[in-house]
Amino acid sequence: MKERLSCYERLELAWNLQEADRVPVAPVNCYIIPYLAGISIRDMFYDPDKLIAATIKAREMLGGGDNIDPNITTLNHLSMFGRAGWDQATLDWRIWDDFPPKGNLPSLFEKALIEDYDDVMERGFAPLLYSKNGAQAIFSRSIDEFLYYEFEYPKVYAAAWRRFVEEQEVPLLMGGRACHPLDMLQYYRGIANLTQDIFEQPEKVKAMCDWLVEYETTMAMRDAMIMGAGEVPGAEVIFFVNGGPPGMSPRIFNEFYWPTAKKMIDIFVTRGFKVHCHWDNDLTPHLETIKHMADGLPKGKLLLDLEKTDMKRAKEVLGDRICIFGNVPSAMLVYGTPEEVDAYCKKLIEECAPGGGFILSTECETPWDSKPENVRAIIQAAEKYGWY
Amino acid sequence: MGKLSDALAVLDKPAVLAAVQEGIEAGTDPLQLVEEARLGLEAVGREFDKGNYFLMELLRAAQIFKDAVALLTPKIKERYGSAASRGTVVIGTVAGDVHDLGKNIVRDLLQCNGFEVIDLGVDVPAARFVEAIRQHKPKVVGMSALLSAAVTQVGRTVEAIEEAGLRDEVKIIVGGGIVGEVKRHTLRVDHATTNANEGIGVILDWFGREQA
Repeated sequence: MKERLSCYERLELAWNLQEADRVPVAPVNCYIIPYLAGISIRDMFYDPDKLIAATIKAREMLGGGDNIDPNITTLNHLSMFGRAGWDQATLDWRIWDDFPPKGNLPSLFEKALIEDYDDVMERGFAPLLYSKNGAQAIFSRSIDEFLYYEFEYPKVYAAAWRRFVEEQEVPLLMGGRACHPLDMLQYYRGIANLTQDIFEQPEKVKAMCDWLVEYETTMAMRDAMIMGAGEVPGAEVIFFVNGGPPGMSPRIFNEFYWPTAKKMIDIFVTRGFKVHCHWDNDLTPHLETIKHMADGLPKGKLLLDLEKTDMKRAKEVLGDRICIFGNVPSAMLVYGTPEEVDAYCKKLIEECAPGGGFILSTECETPWDSKPENVRAIIQAAEKYGWY
Repeated sequence: MGKLSDALAVLDKPAVLAAVQEGIEAGTDPLQLVEEARLGLEAVGREFDKGNYFLMELLRAAQIFKDAVALLTPKIKERYGSAASRGTVVIGTVAGDVHDLGKNIVRDLLQCNGFEVIDLGVDVPAARFVEAIRQHKPKVVGMSALLSAAVTQVGRTVEAIEEAGLRDEVKIIVGGGIVGEVKRHTLRVDHATTNANEGIGVILDWFGREQA
């Protein structure tokens, strides 16, 4: 057995497609943390100290893991300009105290906010944000509150996580978060309108995607810098969501999704960041395109986090190019047994871990109502089967 | 397959609408034109099953079909009064879940297949499903659930339908997200799937069997 490495060293070797001491394990634990630790969703959003304490408690209950999700998503939800305002536009400011069935998680609502792509490209997002659809939510907050959550709160939030990383010696999953323009258009136009646009005004969709690149990349890198990129381990990682609308054919993926995705990845990496592509749905039909993700870039900067994609096939196609991450099914974590999780993880490790470049994790994220013993089974599987 | 169905099968909207217009001008029975368009839609479904088309193509085909039917509806009303419905389906995303993508695709495809769809929207409480069953007397109830907690809510909704004594009067199909991975008997529904096209096939089978 090799000398035991730190969490960060272990992850670094996986990113660099090398075998570490053992397979890194990193379930994406988000809302399960406040749920298990007994704090409200509101506290998770507004009180970083409570969130950090809850994280420490929940990690003990769930068996740890080689990194921690600092929930940049929630930080973005509070920011006026985060994600070009799409959080405000689509969240309806529903930050509940309770979990279901009494309350709910913040959920995104698809809204056809964009009616004219040219108007947005000419005047920016402000007219959208202050439109009749968005104004009500935005003006329910005071200017003081706006400014605080835009410019001051991210620093408070970052300082809390910096303390966590120093004390716990566990790196962050990410420092900033970027959204692919096609995902944003799905929220802004609705999937039905976006589909129609792709077929009826393809050049406008492409132009809009192009227009959004600078906005999205800049905001994500700003967040990562505030979170301590270069100083706080893991803060240099941009979490790049969400893999596009579901059900793209290879033609649509290659023509509408891929060029913008590659452009954004190149921007992040050439500016010194790493990119964690958190791409949902089943991308198996697109792996031959995705394998070009690392073209022209230095080694060790990319990770592909897959949801429903065939992991064995992903390893075959991408194994010598990109670190892959995933994918214990959400349904299994909520409805399955530790034995089922153990068997699934063992198979994943056998198929994906040889040679390095694999991190054992969940699909999209650990559902908040997962059985804790099932999440622990993921961590335990890495210890049981993951030693190189 | 004719010109109209061929055009729909390759998702050529201008050609579909032109073929419909041509048919109207030639005095073709509008219901025959709807049927031709439906054959095109079925061809799209077959390509989807073979993996040649994806969800977006399926959605696009439904959009083109609806545009074609919109041109034909006045002619149908003129000739027949109103179009006959294949039956009624109540559909909605269960309480606690606001995702409507899957639900809307299934709704559109059901409408394309001649069903009357009562769309209850998203975040629908169990009692609202029960009320809609009493009011509209559907043969099928469709529930959409993306989140894991929403899957639990499906169970609660089925329970409410059982308690209201309505379970034997409806077939229940649930779709979306992770439900296809949850054992059907756990949910006490008649069918669970993550595949919209498969769901439509199952519903068509149910209606077919009942009509036979």
